[in-house]
Amino acid sequence: MSGNTIDVVVEEIRCESPQVKSFKLKPIDTSRLLRCGGGSHVKTYVQIDQNIYENNYSLINDPDQSDYYQIAIRRNDESKGGSICWHDRIKEGDQLKISYPKNHFALSFSAKHHILIAAGIGITPFIAMAADLRKKGKSFELHYAARSKELCAFYSFLNSVYPDETKFYFSEEGNRMTTDLMKNQPIGTHVYFCGPERMINEYSESAKSYGYPDTNIHFELFVPPDFGPMEPFQVKLNRSNKVLEVPEGETLLDTLLNHGIDAPYSCKIGGCGSCQVDVLDGEVDHRDFFLTDKEKQEKSVICTCISRAKTKNGSIVLDL
Amino acid sequence: MVTQSAKIMSKPLLERFPFPFTTDSYRYSNNSRKLDPPYVLDITPEYFEEIKLKRELLESRKEQTFQSFPHSIEAQWEILEMIMHEMVSIHPNYFSLKKERNYWVFRNHLLGEEETFTFGDLSSLPYEPLDFIGRHVQEDLVYLGQRDGKLYMDAGQLCFPADWSIAFDLGMEFLEIHNPVPHAFSGSGLVEKVRDFILRIEAEQPWTRYNWTLTIEPILDTAPETFGEWGPKKGNVTADNAGQLVNLRVEDQRLFRLPRSNGILFSIHTHLITLEELIKNKQWKYQFYNIMDDIPNDIAEYKGFISYKDEILEYLKQRIEGSSSIK
Ligand code: HEM
Ligand code: FES
Repeated sequence: MSGNTIDVVVEEIRCESPQVKSFKLKPIDTSRLLRCGGGSHVKTYVQIDQNIYENNYSLINDPDQSDYYQIAIRRNDESKGGSICWHDRIKEGDQLKISYPKNHFALSFSAKHHILIAAGIGITPFIAMAADLRKKGKSFELHYAARSKELCAFYSFLNSVYPDETKFYFSEEGNRMTTDLMKNQPIGTHVYFCGPERMINEYSESAKSYGYPDTNIHFELFVPPDFGPMEPFQVKLNRSNKVLEVPEGETLLDTLLNHGIDAPYSCKIGGCGSCQVDVLDGEVDHRDFFLTDKEKQEKSVICTCISRAKTKNGSIVLDL
Repeated sequence: MVTQSAKIMSKPLLERFPFPFTTDSYRYSNNSRKLDPPYVLDITPEYFEEIKLKRELLESRKEQTFQSFPHSIEAQWEILEMIMHEMVSIHPNYFSLKKERNYWVFRNHLLGEEETFTFGDLSSLPYEPLDFIGRHVQEDLVYLGQRDGKLYMDAGQLCFPADWSIAFDLGMEFLEIHNPVPHAFSGSGLVEKVRDFILRIEAEQPWTRYNWTLTIEPILDTAPETFGEWGPKKGNVTADNAGQLVNLRVEDQRLFRLPRSNGILFSIHTHLITLEELIKNKQWKYQFYNIMDDIPNDIAEYKGFISYKDEILEYLKQRIEGSSSIK
């Protein structure tokens, strides 16, 4: 676990849809939690038997709430376990640790209009972001795609609180959400996506082709994107004068941490840049979403949580 | 106004002074460290005189000491909330706070003052929230808004500046703010790295760094607007009187993520010590001599002591005389 944590107790569990449960988390030994802006998330640490499951979840409570945090989790049968533990093992009254809130998906300050686009459980960050936009009197619209009304978490909540701003798309009713909704929007519009990687790629590409500048396109990924094989490579640590082998299938960050190296990190999926380390030699296969294309070409850095050496069995030298 | 109901206990200045150097040479670098314990406030015995001076400056030179944009108000409340919570949890003898929903009663027992207000309602406070809470702490407080990957100076209460102006810098972006700093920091790629570092600071994981310069006489408000009053004093320094006239001025700067507004609070606590006092610590004496001897001219000029650097070196050399080696 990196950084400080907060001890919380699960105060209330609610079914938001057949696949989605929400959890209200109350602090145990502090009187208040930090208020945090729309788009924030916490990392949760759930211990089941010998395993600790680390997962990031968006906060869905009102940004000015300081008595509790609330998260919503979709049961994912293909996942390695985090969401299944939450659904099947966690009961009201259970205690666990969470990180302090972080925000890698903040609202733009200068946007004239905000378009929030969610697919499935990707709705979660937008619940608090919509509350923030409403409080600040900003112009926004929310587009939310789900299979059906029954499977659509927070349907009645959104329908009653943001009836004018929200548009639902239910694919079983033949109503598909398309990228066209970003067309013909006023200058100064910012778009935000949250959903599966495929959806984010499609919407980012389309937004660029419609003329949105990079700075007006925001998205949050919850699972690391798939970049193909994770080949083994070698890393030399210049300052500590060590040579480590990064095995197939393991990230550079994990190799560093496993060897007791105090490497920085936060999101672990290439989104926040916290894990950047200077590269002194060797070519990098940049897989992160933090560095701009220009920085990837010009700066000698690597996001260790996700990027690797360019070639199989290649070698890179780090300033560590 | 100042009551003796609560006294501030502390060690002598020499034992608590934040000596900023770790080696015998000073160059610009990102010298930030994790701040532990993670608090904004450092309450020292100078509290009473510094608060008095602060408030006088805020009355007599309001424009130069407090500046803000209307869009900073939400963050200002967040800063007030954060500092008041720290005050009552860490210094319950000095401060107390009663809350009934949004109705807050704040007491400063050191000064014997009480203020009631409605949290979030500007009209219920005599000043803007940052200006209000700043009048109860020794630190200068600057708020930077984070917008689209950049940091902008959106508000600040700055009574004890080391020759920079909040009125001039308000609204500027982090790189612009640092434009006057010599090339080794600004223009070498370092300032961009520092900015990227600040952008990634997380809630409850604050950072700290020391900045330093020299000041003639123990003058805290060395503002550019009053240069005429403190600047000419530099001409008075000689190798004989440097010990009494010259002060090492250290700024304990701290950086906090504000999770509600997603901005940064930058606090500055300024400490002054005369060279005469400083060199009572032998190790500091040698180290400070070596720093002065080695400092690049552009940094000495920017920090404003190049005109009397030789006098300081001479003063220190005389105090080191007799010991076999300087290093
Ligand atoms: C967000 C917080 C910060 C603010 C608001 C800030 C502001 C300033 C200002 C106003 C100056 C004076 C510039 C002038 O001459 O007009 C300055 C100087 C400087 N700043 Fe920052 N700064 C911040 C953080 C940092 C950090 C984290 C570093 C880390 C290396 C840094 C390094 C410097 C340096 C090296 C100077 C020159 C100081 C000297 O040589 O005396 N600043 N800063
Ligand atoms: S930890 Fe966030 S980018 Fe690597």
